[in-house]
Amino acid sequence: MQTNKTDVRSWLWVLALVCVLKAWPADAQELRWTTGQGYTTATALDTAVEMQINGLVARVAVRQEFQNDGNEWTEGIYVFPLPDRAAVDRMRLHIGDRYIEGEIREKEQAEREYEQAKREGRKASLVRQERANLFTTQVANVAPGELVVVEIEYLEDLRFEDGQFSIRLPMTLAPRYSNEDVDDSAAITPVQVMASRRHRITLEAHINAGMPLALVASRYHPVSVRENGGRYHVELAIPNTPMDHDFELIWRPVPSAEPRAMAFTETIDGEPYHLLMVMPPDQRDTALARVPREMLFVVDTSGSMHGVSMTQAKKAVRLAIESLRPGDLFNVIEFDSYTSALYPYSMPANSVNVGQAVSFVQALQADGGTEMRPALKLAFESPARDSHLRQIVFITDGSVGYEDEMFSMIERKLGNARLFTVGIGSAPNSLFMRKAAEAGRGSYTFISVLHEVNEKMSALFRKLENPQVTDIELAWPSGVQVDAYPSVVPDLYLGQPITVRTRALGGFRPGDALYVSGNSVAGAWRAGVPLDASASAKGVAALWARARIGELLDAERRGGDTSLLRADIVATALTHRLVSKYTSLVAVDKTPVRPAGEPLASERVPNLMPYGQGALMGFPATATSAPALRIMGAGWLLAALLLLVMIRTSRPRAQRY
Amino acid sequence: MRSVTRARYGAVAALLALGFWQLGQGAYIPAKAWLAQELMQHAWLRMTAGDDRAAPWPWADSWPVARLSAPAHDVELIVLSGGSGRTLAFAPGHLAASAPPGAAGNSIIAGHRDTHFAFLRDVAIGERVNLETPDGRKHAYEVIGTNVVDSRRGSLVLDTDGAFLTLVTCYPFDALDAGGPLRYVITARRL
Repeated sequence: MQTNKTDVRSWLWVLALVCVLKAWPADAQELRWTTGQGYTTATALDTAVEMQINGLVARVAVRQEFQNDGNEWTEGIYVFPLPDRAAVDRMRLHIGDRYIEGEIREKEQAEREYEQAKREGRKASLVRQERANLFTTQVANVAPGELVVVEIEYLEDLRFEDGQFSIRLPMTLAPRYSNEDVDDSAAITPVQVMASRRHRITLEAHINAGMPLALVASRYHPVSVRENGGRYHVELAIPNTPMDHDFELIWRPVPSAEPRAMAFTETIDGEPYHLLMVMPPDQRDTALARVPREMLFVVDTSGSMHGVSMTQAKKAVRLAIESLRPGDLFNVIEFDSYTSALYPYSMPANSVNVGQAVSFVQALQADGGTEMRPALKLAFESPARDSHLRQIVFITDGSVGYEDEMFSMIERKLGNARLFTVGIGSAPNSLFMRKAAEAGRGSYTFISVLHEVNEKMSALFRKLENPQVTDIELAWPSGVQVDAYPSVVPDLYLGQPITVRTRALGGFRPGDALYVSGNSVAGAWRAGVPLDASASAKGVAALWARARIGELLDAERRGGDTSLLRADIVATALTHRLVSKYTSLVAVDKTPVRPAGEPLASERVPNLMPYGQGALMGFPATATSAPALRIMGAGWLLAALLLLVMIRTSRPRAQRY
Repeated sequence: MRSVTRARYGAVAALLALGFWQLGQGAYIPAKAWLAQELMQHAWLRMTAGDDRAAPWPWADSWPVARLSAPAHDVELIVLSGGSGRTLAFAPGHLAASAPPGAAGNSIIAGHRDTHFAFLRDVAIGERVNLETPDGRKHAYEVIGTNVVDSRRGSLVLDTDGAFLTLVTCYPFDALDAGGPLRYVITARRL
């Protein structure tokens, strides 16, 4: 009897305790997205990348895995960046253990085929180009719980500069600033999220450099590197890395093996294509009367620069200002929605002005829009002095949607000035950096982490200070009709090679060579590259086509005949199976899989916010303790009630006296 | 024996007191939130009449900056300036660092998930949200996204192209922990 009662009482105590404990909050739940009505987890996306590097040519395969975790049939839409010179020539839609090879079509035709398949419930995927470095993958009719893989491949010719090869893979993009002149802002500004358990990448690269290497390294990610008979295998040391900052792999030949010339060839339909690279003589430390310079620093202080980007930019400008020499002139122009300059016109780089400029730069704050035009206009139109060489250093993340307009403006207004771009941040717009520098007849560089500011800016200063190789001309063997890009070879800065992509109608004869000539400080310079000794490399033809399309698009931007140019671009792209402004890759399955009655939800897969960016402000606390107080209050009342019941049940003994 | 019984009843009384006090607190917070909105109507009228920074009550350190309405949910709220806890107890707060309501850029308004912004749970993509500024202008926004963000890793973006309205509240809506890290973020674009 007694034990029974104690039992009941102890159970009541446990119950009371549970009541109180229940009042404490449960753990946070996982991230979820909404589509249409109700909750469904987002279409998840993971990426696997494999790079095959052979001499100057890289073939990169990007596997995008779309996982539909929701309970509806969905269409996934994913906007993603690729290198700005990527020649996308292959797309495969993997369904289970089979795959469908994508076909190249004119853009509108590809979209029609895709939309029809989507309506009819068949699986389909489409890869479209929004900008030279921004693409969209769409994949239709992904069943609830299903995993569909879209594999995209592209070719890229590698950058060899300052004695070092590099390949860069953008992983996400900074939100682009659009104004009323950008009519496709929706297509180039995907949803962005701060954090995600997906958006992971695995990456491996195989390097066959064709020369002994002194260094193989990754700039921004830890990697493991293995060597086997002169070939290197590189892998991300941390698998499933968040895709929130660009990947860059660099490799450097041993100094004695540094290439003076490289030649690769591929023959398609009897026509040989070549990819050629020639290094001009090293003019470093050439004794030369230094031309005094007028340096104009144009600094982007828009909101997208907030965070680590602004810190990097400030350090870079400060370093640049402090490296000015007596006799140089300089000014600092900053812009966001508005433009302002440190001085009304350029001032001598004396210690007082330099000190003033340093504190001006230190006080810069990143906020507002990205209106580049007034800032560049101010730089170009400020009164120039013939005695000084005007060099404009443009420091920005290039997060704008009106790139083409800027390239045209730079070309129009450049005159004798030179424009150099410094791409800042975890995910700069590489297309903007390269094309703006090309239009400005300067060079471009990227600074993605604070500790490389010194290295990258020093390399830029060497380019700014050292004389160029000018008046470069290419002499092709006589009797061969050659279609070469770039059609006009720009002046070269220290450490830059000449890279040419050609198609030779009729082909070269044994013994033929390309002769390159130019003017350097040391006098006229001439070098030859034998054409018949080229190494064979797949993809050279597609890279030639990509370069050709690039020049046709430039001609279009400069106001050329759009219909003629478009026809030319489409023909080139279709022949070489390339995605371009006017052509897309589409893959369509034959049999419908989505039942006729089932609706299809459409979901834009978000991109990760670039690392260190967008961290503009913290969140306020947005919950009160009222619900917790109510439940805890109820818990205490219940406990009181239980205690009362227990006292009453133990009463019989107490009543006896 | 008697003292033991007395102690037991004392414990019951203490538990009852604690329970009622907490229930009272739990009722007071939403009551204050509701009452403050009523009191602020007058301050809003003064603002629309051209009064600068009309404080809703003499000791208030905040003033109405906009009127937010969601017709689909029959919600109309006066928005105060600032996002401090003191402000949010009375009204949704407009974060001072973000773009002014109705202006270009991202205007961010935060509110408590269990009082003023409880309705965000039911706001769907495509819905209209209106913002009225003291100068009498009405701005219509369309909800283009709903998102859950981890505030430990995430933050709010100020540099947007065009005019955006971001409504922020805590997530999950029915969680009890007031200091949880997740935020529910609704993004709307001005029409």
